Amino acid sequence: MEGTLKNNTSKQLLWIGMIGITMFFAGLTSAVIVRSADRGWESIIMPQWFWYSTFAIVLSSITLMIAKRQVKKGISPTFYIVSSLILGLLFSCFQIMGWGQLVSDGIFLTGEKSHPAGSFLYVITLAHLIHVLGGLISLLVTTIKSAQVKYTKKNYLGIELTSIYWHFLDVLWLYLFVFLLYSLK
Amino acid sequence: MTNILIFIVGFLGIVTLVQILRVSELMSAVHKQDVNEVNEKDNIFNSKMMLIVGALFLISFFWQYFEWKHLLLPEASSEHGVIIDELMTFTMLLIIFVFLITQPLLFWYSYKYRKGKGNETAYYFAHNNKLEIIWTVVPAIVLTGVILYGLSTWNKITNADVKGATVIELYAKQFNWTARYSGADNKLGSAHYKLVSPINPSGTNALGVDTRDNDVNAAWKDDIITTPVDNVVHLVKGQPVLLKFRSQDVIHSAFLPHFRVQMNCVPGMTTQFAFTPTKTTAEMKATEGEDFDYVLLCNKICGASHYNMQMKFIVETQEEYDTWMSSQKTLSEKVSTQTVITELVTQK
Amino acid sequence: MSDHHKETFITKYIFSIDHKMIAKQFLITGMLMGIVGMLMSILFRLQLSSPGEPFAILEWFGVDWNPTLDANGNVIGTPIMEGVLDPNLYLSLVTMHGTILVFWVLTAGLSGTFANFLIPLQIGARDMASGFINMLSYWFFFAATVVLLVSLFVQTGPASSGWTIYPPLSAVAESIPGSGLGQDLWLISMTLFVVSSLLGGLNYIVTILNLRTKGMSMSRLPLTIWAIFITAILGVLSFPVLLSACLLLVFDRTFGTSFYLSDIIIGGEALHHTGGSPILFEHLFWFLGHPEVYIILLPALGIVSEVMSVNSRKPIFGYKAMVLALIAIAFLSFIVWGHHMFITGMDPFLGSVFTFTTLLIAIPSAVKVFNYLATLWKASIRFTPAMLFTIGFVSTFLTGGLTGLILGDSALDINVHDTYFVVGHFHIVMGLSAIYGMFAGVYHWFPKMYGRMMNKKLGYLHFWVTFICAYGVFFPMHFLGLAGLPRRYYTNSNFPMFDELTDINQLITTFAIVGGLIQFIFVFNFFYSIFKGTKATKNPWESNTLEWTTPIERMHGNWPGEIPTVHRWPYDYSKPGAEKDFIPQTEPLKEGEEEH
Repeated sequence: MEGTLKNNTSKQLLWIGMIGITMFFAGLTSAVIVRSADRGWESIIMPQWFWYSTFAIVLSSITLMIAKRQVKKGISPTFYIVSSLILGLLFSCFQIMGWGQLVSDGIFLTGEKSHPAGSFLYVITLAHLIHVLGGLISLLVTTIKSAQVKYTKKNYLGIELTSIYWHFLDVLWLYLFVFLLYSLK
Repeated sequence: MTNILIFIVGFLGIVTLVQILRVSELMSAVHKQDVNEVNEKDNIFNSKMMLIVGALFLISFFWQYFEWKHLLLPEASSEHGVIIDELMTFTMLLIIFVFLITQPLLFWYSYKYRKGKGNETAYYFAHNNKLEIIWTVVPAIVLTGVILYGLSTWNKITNADVKGATVIELYAKQFNWTARYSGADNKLGSAHYKLVSPINPSGTNALGVDTRDNDVNAAWKDDIITTPVDNVVHLVKGQPVLLKFRSQDVIHSAFLPHFRVQMNCVPGMTTQFAFTPTKTTAEMKATEGEDFDYVLLCNKICGASHYNMQMKFIVETQEEYDTWMSSQKTLSEKVSTQTVITELVTQK
Repeated sequence: MSDHHKETFITKYIFSIDHKMIAKQFLITGMLMGIVGMLMSILFRLQLSSPGEPFAILEWFGVDWNPTLDANGNVIGTPIMEGVLDPNLYLSLVTMHGTILVFWVLTAGLSGTFANFLIPLQIGARDMASGFINMLSYWFFFAATVVLLVSLFVQTGPASSGWTIYPPLSAVAESIPGSGLGQDLWLISMTLFVVSSLLGGLNYIVTILNLRTKGMSMSRLPLTIWAIFITAILGVLSFPVLLSACLLLVFDRTFGTSFYLSDIIIGGEALHHTGGSPILFEHLFWFLGHPEVYIILLPALGIVSEVMSVNSRKPIFGYKAMVLALIAIAFLSFIVWGHHMFITGMDPFLGSVFTFTTLLIAIPSAVKVFNYLATLWKASIRFTPAMLFTIGFVSTFLTGGLTGLILGDSALDINVHDTYFVVGHFHIVMGLSAIYGMFAGVYHWFPKMYGRMMNKKLGYLHFWVTFICAYGVFFPMHFLGLAGLPRRYYTNSNFPMFDELTDINQLITTFAIVGGLIQFIFVFNFFYSIFKGTKATKNPWESNTLEWTTPIERMHGNWPGEIPTVHRWPYDYSKPGAEKDFIPQTEPLKEGEEEH
């Protein structure tokens, strides 16, 4: 009884925390809407790296889903968690490379030549990446615990929480990506 | 020395208080009663206080009104201001009406229903659908009226016909105002912040008006900018004006309380407000006293001298206005066309 | 969880995970910040009543504190030259007063205290869902407090762009001295504060949803818990938006982006920023800012409902309507933010929409006031200090709420926007009401917090002086506003049209000083009673709610044995047919007894 209660409250805490994060990004994206409806707005071609990173994070979500299935069956999920971790790192690298491409395209975060459209793109992707950092840390912790065989068929709350958060980051990125793609057109 | 004295007095005060409390608590222990339990005496005292203070509160409300009535802004000096005042009077009367019913009720109930002899138990009354529906629906109906009245007034003000209105620009910066009249063509020449003189050495004026267009009919040519020496805005009684607002640095707010006009001045954008003055300064001086003047105030926190960012407005007759206007120099009379332009602007 | 943990001094009083201790930490921090904020207001009230005159007290406060700097960073004079306040320091004081009172006292001090204290006790839980997150919430708040206090002592002065920190004033360091390091610290402090509020909010919601004791259905929750629950939801939805607004502001300030800045010349230099819009900030800020008003007010409404019912010996009238009104107010609070921006040149149609939604709030508010009046009708009122503050609350909520009808109307707002009319309005409806709610809560639950009673007579003195002085301060402000006086003016002596207002200002300052000083009676009473107050009994107010079934001695886990089961709603006072005039929630329904 105590155990399920703890599971439930932990999950709810996470869910409500994620609602908070959603509101944070809703604030940023509605700022884009308000601003783009105003005076001059620049169109930006999304760097191809962002497409690669989208692919990476979706894939990482899938491997994490498999990991959860494995642990439910009682098989060690370490391999799949590590895969997610690596794909997550790859996502982060692609994001940074995407910024590099933006700079070479002449779109800057700040300075005389910058435009709010470009700055928004940087800030929103950066803010998302910071949240991904948290996800990567919890993936790392889960990996270590999984390698130490801390998870069992019945007790895999850590994996569950990590995967909820990681899927959330995935969906959040998909939303932001589509949003930016559309509003920076 | 005074500091030490303050400390000593404060310290002694606290000690005294502690002692008084100790004594009163010891006394009550002797009398075998709880000093902090609310007794009949407390209920009588506080319920009477409710009645007295409540009455004083309502009396003071009327006292304040009659004592300070003359300090309030005089009747609006603009066409739309009159309808704002009417809406204000209506809303004020409504809320004072509600205020004068509910507040006395609150204090009266607090007085009447104190616990004590004859009122030991309360009446168990948890809910009553009929009552609750009444006091949801009645405010809703009243509010519908308030909303409709308010919105129709708002629409009248914001949809004012600006065709034929004299266009005047008010330019705000820390911590003063500058005005620019659009001149005979009633059009303001365009401006850019990087042309502001002396920030830009090749700029020709303090408002950044672009004086590069050499066409005889260029909009900027007949613009008139007020000078710091004669920093007054002249308006004609009965002639609609369209004020356009810009700001050089931070957000300011142009507030003309007598005309019931207020609009923020935001750097990077132009805002506007149209109104028609209905009383000349001379007429106002006759009713409000010799030292009356229309003033423009800043009403958005903007820095150290926010409290002193003002400009005088004068409303006069057409003749007086024309006489004054004929003595003004247009921008093209003051400056030659800009030939050299620093690269600042071309960058965009 | 139920066993008694061994507690050291540090885990008991400092890094405690016991919700009751965390509540007290919030309360005492909030109280101390309240004193700081109140003293600030007295300083600028002195300036307003006798502008430019020296005051010994100002001399005393800081001779070399916060010098004004010119564009090159050189000191111009001393801020408090022989006791005369400098205009920049005046704006700093106004800003910090607002920030401290709105966030530190009335958000953290009120919600933090009573949410932490009451949720587990009134729903029948051993503690919060996560004691650790709860502790973290307090320590983030503490860190925020430290940073904010440090910002008072930086050379260029604390933030001074108003508590609403509108850019460009808050974004461009050259525009006002306080926009330098002081503003940076303000933003850091606010970020820590938001994190604290979110951690707290998460915990409150989850605890209320999951840890209610047997029988405690949502329809049997005391109204305090309902109010706190809705407040927490508001916080989780609105504070992150403030964070996003601040993030963009930080980028503009520090990294040179142009989210909020455009075409600015300052200190004789044209800045490179183009394409930004300060109005964007206002939208984001007020999307938090308006719900924030209700984050402040709702807990007070909850406390007042509870205290009023207990001391009227009568059920709160229209429990369901009260809950629905809370929900309606909370919902509406998200779609009214534009009423702070009627004169920013917004699209007139949008202005109409915001007028409409804003005035709708009057309906649930009216329902609440009428329900309070109906609760007092035919009551048997026991005048505890808490009850007095409750009645005071209804009075101020009513007075301040009514003037809201004027400010919410876009057409009328044109001429009263940012005048003293607004200052009077929000201080009465949200400042006074919320602080009265807080006082009511402290007087009412003090016996539960410390096992001792607060002194009754000092409580009466505190209430009556506060009530009279507070109206004396804020009621005349409506007249100042209708005379056209703008807020945040260092002095109004530069306009002949305001000369005659000096008398009113002096009156207000007198009331402010007396009303401010009397708060020390409360502070004294509070600390004195912690150590020396008379011992409290288990249920001194003869109240129905669960917290009064816990033992007097504080213990971690709240109940020594089983957590009691709940059988009825919390407002069975003076129920016909009962032996006593109160029936605790733990008492089973008698045969044939209807619930309510």
